Amino acid sequence: MFKEPSIRLAAWVACLTLTLFTMLPCIWILATAFKSAAEINLWPPTFLPHDPTMENFQQLLRETPFMRYVFNSLLIAVGSTLAIMITSSLAGFVFAKYHFPLRGPLFMLILASAIIPLEAYMVPLYIMVFKVRMLNTYAALIFPIMIMSFGVFFMRQVIMSIPDELLEAARIDGASEWWIYLRIVLSLSKSGLMAIGVFAFTQAWANFIWPLVVVSTGDMYTTELGLAEFQRSFFTEYGPIAAGAVISIVPMLIVFALLRRHIMQGIATSGMKG
Amino acid sequence: MSGAPPQLASPLPSAPVARWRRAWTGMRRNHIGFVLCALGPIMALFVLIRIYPIVETVRLSFYNYNITQRRNPFVGFANYIRLFDDDPFRTALLNTIGYTALTVVVTLLLALAIAILLRSIERAAPVFELLFYVPMVIPWVPAAVIWKWIYDPAYGALNYMLSGLGIPKLGWLQEPHLILYAIVMVSVWKLVGYFVVIYGVGLRSIPEELLEAADLDGATAWKKLRYVVLPLLRPIILFTVITCTIICFNVFAPVYVLTASSQGAPAYDFKVVVGEIYQNGFVFYHMGYAGSQCVVVLLFVMSLLVVQFLAFREK
Repeated sequence: MFKEPSIRLAAWVACLTLTLFTMLPCIWILATAFKSAAEINLWPPTFLPHDPTMENFQQLLRETPFMRYVFNSLLIAVGSTLAIMITSSLAGFVFAKYHFPLRGPLFMLILASAIIPLEAYMVPLYIMVFKVRMLNTYAALIFPIMIMSFGVFFMRQVIMSIPDELLEAARIDGASEWWIYLRIVLSLSKSGLMAIGVFAFTQAWANFIWPLVVVSTGDMYTTELGLAEFQRSFFTEYGPIAAGAVISIVPMLIVFALLRRHIMQGIATSGMKG
Repeated sequence: MSGAPPQLASPLPSAPVARWRRAWTGMRRNHIGFVLCALGPIMALFVLIRIYPIVETVRLSFYNYNITQRRNPFVGFANYIRLFDDDPFRTALLNTIGYTALTVVVTLLLALAIAILLRSIERAAPVFELLFYVPMVIPWVPAAVIWKWIYDPAYGALNYMLSGLGIPKLGWLQEPHLILYAIVMVSVWKLVGYFVVIYGVGLRSIPEELLEAADLDGATAWKKLRYVVLPLLRPIILFTVITCTIICFNVFAPVYVLTASSQGAPAYDFKVVVGEIYQNGFVFYHMGYAGSQCVVVLLFVMSLLVVQFLAFREK
């Protein structure tokens, strides 16, 4: 876009500086998790651990049920991801390929609600869950994140690009609408579905305020909740907390590293919406 | 909702049977049975977990609702009147607005500048975009945990770096006037990469010929930016301003973690709107009152939605 040498130089300097800003804290937490308690409380602080130790991880797993938190988080994230992949692809398919009364208004309703954050309507959700006596259950934790408005929008975009002739040909061969959905639409929109899956998984894993209000006993804590509560009580040392933070970040980084192309494509679409 | 049958009953007496039959074959052709089976349950769930709670939030805000009590009387606008006298809420609102304004401006200006600069080093751009995006992958809680240690008054890396410049140790999370900037910095760190990617998409969609044409006319880099690039980016800029504003206005997890007193260091109690909703609704169980605070958030978000809608309508 701009090829002037001075601008290119400025670009390198600015981008390398920003890289330091975004990456240093990540490396810092990783390094801290492997430091001994004595080294963490050293002044001036050391950057990389002199003497890498697993002690923080061992202490965390010994003294807290952190693996249980990770298990809970995984269960909730997988449940929510599966639900969102099903609801997004099915609703996206119907909105993309069928004509029916109220199609426009219903779709607008879903699209408009995408922007409204859970925080703004969580009180009635809580009362609902309370009334059916489901507080502190996995069902309650997954329940409000079974639909993703953006997912419906995104899958509609993806499925709209599947040619109608393909579906019509299958119908002539006697295929039912469900068969078309399961065999044709799903396999042709796999890549988009992956992107939505990644978004759903990271969103569910990172969810904080809903577990905070719904969960009341330690055995139902998620990693995020456990990590936040460690701040308030339990630990006076930072080492095990850093270890917990690393455990909570690593699955996200793995997912991101494996599927970054899908993720970037998904973000591109969300930007195109604007 | 979606289960509602189409309006078939015609007020006109002209051959109703024929109209019914036509409508029926039309529905058959459009696979209305499949649409109902597939979309019906999803829309029902959608109403249950989105539409109903939103409407119910507004209704609750007119009641003195307490989940532990049997009688929850209607109180009209009393909750809203109380909002005006509620000092913690006023502080929270002002804090949230200040935090949001600062974070949105810094994040988006930085992201836009970087995204534009990245276009001049096209080959390295994807790598940089990935490196900038990494904090976005980190959930808010561990992100705040990381920064909490960086901000630590006694052992923190930030104070160590500043001590190199001769600045004495500061209590980033303890001083009432510093904690705002501390939380803004975490947020900029976390969000900037996402917006660099979004702007990157917008910038890549600008046809190169336009800029070459400007080059032929002898336009300087600044003029190209001012008269070609920025005007074409307008819709994306509007989208990012609204997205970023909504993300920031609902800030809670980082504040919850960063203001928790721990490791022997107390922290200043920086109040935000969602924190007040949490306190009132789920600590004190004043759910009607919390509902009125939720309505404030809803109104704010809806007004942004209207702004976006009107702006795109223009075109």
